Amino acid sequence: MKLTSLIFFFLLITTDAIAKKIFDAKFFELKNGLKVIVIENKRAPVVAQMIWYKFGSGVEENGKSGLAHFMEHLMFKGTKKFPDSYYSNFISRIGGSENAFTSYDYTAYYQVFPKYELEKIMQMESDRMINLTLSKENVEIEKKVILEERFQRVESDPSAKLDESMRTVLFPNHYYGRPIIGWKHEIENLSFDDVIEFYKKYYVPNNATLVLSGDVDFERVKKLTKKYFGKRRKGNALIYENVVDPNIETSVTVEMKHSTVKQKIWKKFYRVNSYKNSIKDSLALEIGLRILASGSSSVLYENLVNKKKKFSAIGGYYQGLTRGEGSVYFYAIPNEDLVLDNIEIIINKEIDQILNEGISKKRFEIEKKKFVYDSIYERDGVLNPAQAVGEAITIGIKLDDLENLNKELDNVNYIDVIEALKKFRKNKNFVIGELKN
Amino acid sequence: MKLRLLILIFSLFISQQSLALEFEELKTKKGISFWFVKDSSLPLVSMSFSFKGGSSLDPKNKEGSTNLMVSLLDEGTENFTPNDFKLSLRENGTKISFSTEKDRIDGTFQVVSSQVQEGFWLLSESVNNPLFNPKEIEKVKKQIVASINIDQSDVQTQASEKFNKIFFKKSKLSRNIKGDLVSLKEISRKDIFQMHKLNFTKDNLVIGLAGDIDPDSAKKYVDYVFGKLPILGKKRIIPKFESLAKGEKFFEMETPQSTVIFGQRGVNRNEKDYFAVRVLNYVLGGGGFQSRLYKEIREKSGLVYSIYSYLIPLENNGVIVGGFQTRNETVNETVSKVKNEWERLKSDGITARELKDAQTYYKGSFSRNFTSTISIASLLKIVQYHNLGNDYFKKRSEIIDSLKLNEINDLASKLFEKNDLFFMIVGKRAN
Repeated sequence: MKLTSLIFFFLLITTDAIAKKIFDAKFFELKNGLKVIVIENKRAPVVAQMIWYKFGSGVEENGKSGLAHFMEHLMFKGTKKFPDSYYSNFISRIGGSENAFTSYDYTAYYQVFPKYELEKIMQMESDRMINLTLSKENVEIEKKVILEERFQRVESDPSAKLDESMRTVLFPNHYYGRPIIGWKHEIENLSFDDVIEFYKKYYVPNNATLVLSGDVDFERVKKLTKKYFGKRRKGNALIYENVVDPNIETSVTVEMKHSTVKQKIWKKFYRVNSYKNSIKDSLALEIGLRILASGSSSVLYENLVNKKKKFSAIGGYYQGLTRGEGSVYFYAIPNEDLVLDNIEIIINKEIDQILNEGISKKRFEIEKKKFVYDSIYERDGVLNPAQAVGEAITIGIKLDDLENLNKELDNVNYIDVIEALKKFRKNKNFVIGELKN
Repeated sequence: MKLRLLILIFSLFISQQSLALEFEELKTKKGISFWFVKDSSLPLVSMSFSFKGGSSLDPKNKEGSTNLMVSLLDEGTENFTPNDFKLSLRENGTKISFSTEKDRIDGTFQVVSSQVQEGFWLLSESVNNPLFNPKEIEKVKKQIVASINIDQSDVQTQASEKFNKIFFKKSKLSRNIKGDLVSLKEISRKDIFQMHKLNFTKDNLVIGLAGDIDPDSAKKYVDYVFGKLPILGKKRIIPKFESLAKGEKFFEMETPQSTVIFGQRGVNRNEKDYFAVRVLNYVLGGGGFQSRLYKEIREKSGLVYSIYSYLIPLENNGVIVGGFQTRNETVNETVSKVKNEWERLKSDGITARELKDAQTYYKGSFSRNFTSTISIASLLKIVQYHNLGNDYFKKRSEIIDSLKLNEINDLASKLFEKNDLFFMIVGKRAN
């Protein structure tokens, strides 16, 4: 049962993406600070180009939530040289595909296309970094589109509204508590001038990493990036202020009651360390949480769904590839007779027992193996590797660390995993959510 | 090797200036034919397969039987408890997934090549030896009930369920794949075994296989997994619709934004006009950022975030279906804009430029199918599923090049009829 996809609405990318010197990615940097990564793979005559800007909703000023995502939409509006939807038209004409996404820590654009059009695509991508032409009319119409997007993703989905609200509690200070898409009333007030200012300030080469994956040649990429991106002027360095959230000393349960809800759902979100704090610790937590809560083979699932029949589903996972603190998400779908208030007690008791009785060493070895196997899967395709490398580099993980993640995993032993879970169990920085009628 | 002589090698046409990928048409000792591409760029093997049948085989009042059976395939077999089975998948770098569709069951199987034997064993267990234990049946039923309950509060899922129910009238295509809370209760363990027997037959199966494995081993494993399945011995009939609903229906839900699904009749995959209709749909609503619906209704008017249309080619007929979400207040305005585009396509057709752009799109986009082992396997399967022929990869370009503007536009004027459209609106009426 793929219930998870119905329950969490925001995009989360697991760390499975990372493999053992697997990407064999090559790196260089232009004088203007643009980072370039090349992952050669000649299986099919296809290239994926991604440009990752190291800012997302995190750089928005107070009161201007949604601006980074708004800007992402407007980046498709054309330049003087390639007006209106020329770029998108071109990609379609050659049989390519494209899209873009915005997160807390980054904004990324990608195209997948036949390799012989690489130069033109690169030229157009570098062009829209600086030469975007926008009209007030464009901006106003697109604002309506974005409001419809917010209504589609959040306003018409009680579960998504619950998640949004839980994050405001979990991150009272950090921008992770503010929705990427923006609050409705703030989107409504974003102006043409806000957009122009944001574009000029942030869309500069030293904020970006260009990733090319597929049937490309390293030397040719060097030449082409120099030709097209080399002329872009360096902008002011982006300085992230290290905003820290206070410990949560109250216990908060966020409740979403809605007349359309027919299935009670219980959620619990935690704030935890990320891969940026320590790769080894994060790997230990990652493996531990997979044993405990990932999928229908987890220990919690076996005990609470299969044996004790308390829930029809339970699961959880770690999102640790973040510039700031990471998160852990848990959910449970209770069987009819269960009262939501008791769920936390039941699960905590179960986790304590699991940690006491120990998790078998065999179980630990299985998850380690799976982690390494997953990194082979991550290379199957042209976009996947670009996505994995681009994201990690953009949030500040070193390429070498990423390439050698499987080796680092080898240093993680059984005790590390148990300790990571014990520490996690004591973590008080969490919020509980209940979706009910 | 004796069977070698039977193996034919075809060239896959990728694009004007590229290497040619080759596929082989293999036949196993037990008589199963499948298409195969050897690709050792990664230590992975991927297989995609379909059994014709799916939820259309569900008995009356027991809707959801096939889906329930399929959901139980990894819940315990003769040699594994549910938990052992799932742990073995993890331990052996194996991924197995099944999904129930209205006219078929789709499966994908992937394994890292070092564990290929273990992987195929696990697949064989789930295909041949599922236990369907009463305990697991109860568990999975509860999970399906929870997911039906979740669907019921989801505006978009509600819209598409209600659309199917009314649009396809009395046809079996109108039924929900998951069934409903009443029909689920009616399904017995015996029914589940029956659905397994009905769906999983050797002569109803198509397979595409790609990756780091040699053809002889591939044949051996295909036989090992599928060779013991029974033979149905007759052509499976996929239900069709006799007629389709028209007009507009409204269902009230407490939401600030409505979801609208619309559709009319289309064509089946084997009709000679299929590619022409595909081009028309590409221009209308299938071409992402390029489509007319996107440009007129999102880009120029800002009424929606997503709007699309697509073809559902069924075996005996087909439909064109589309959808969008807009604020309750702007539903009528958006519906009438969709109708305008329908009318415009009918009366003016598409332009020479639009045709050319669609042709180059379809030719250029094909190579994207070759970027991963699972997409190669899936392409090999789909071409067989629709009986497009083993020369399809060569023919495809010719079909695209031979499309003529006047013929396409004639077709548009015959096919697209705004008065035939059915709109299902789920939302709250605006005052």
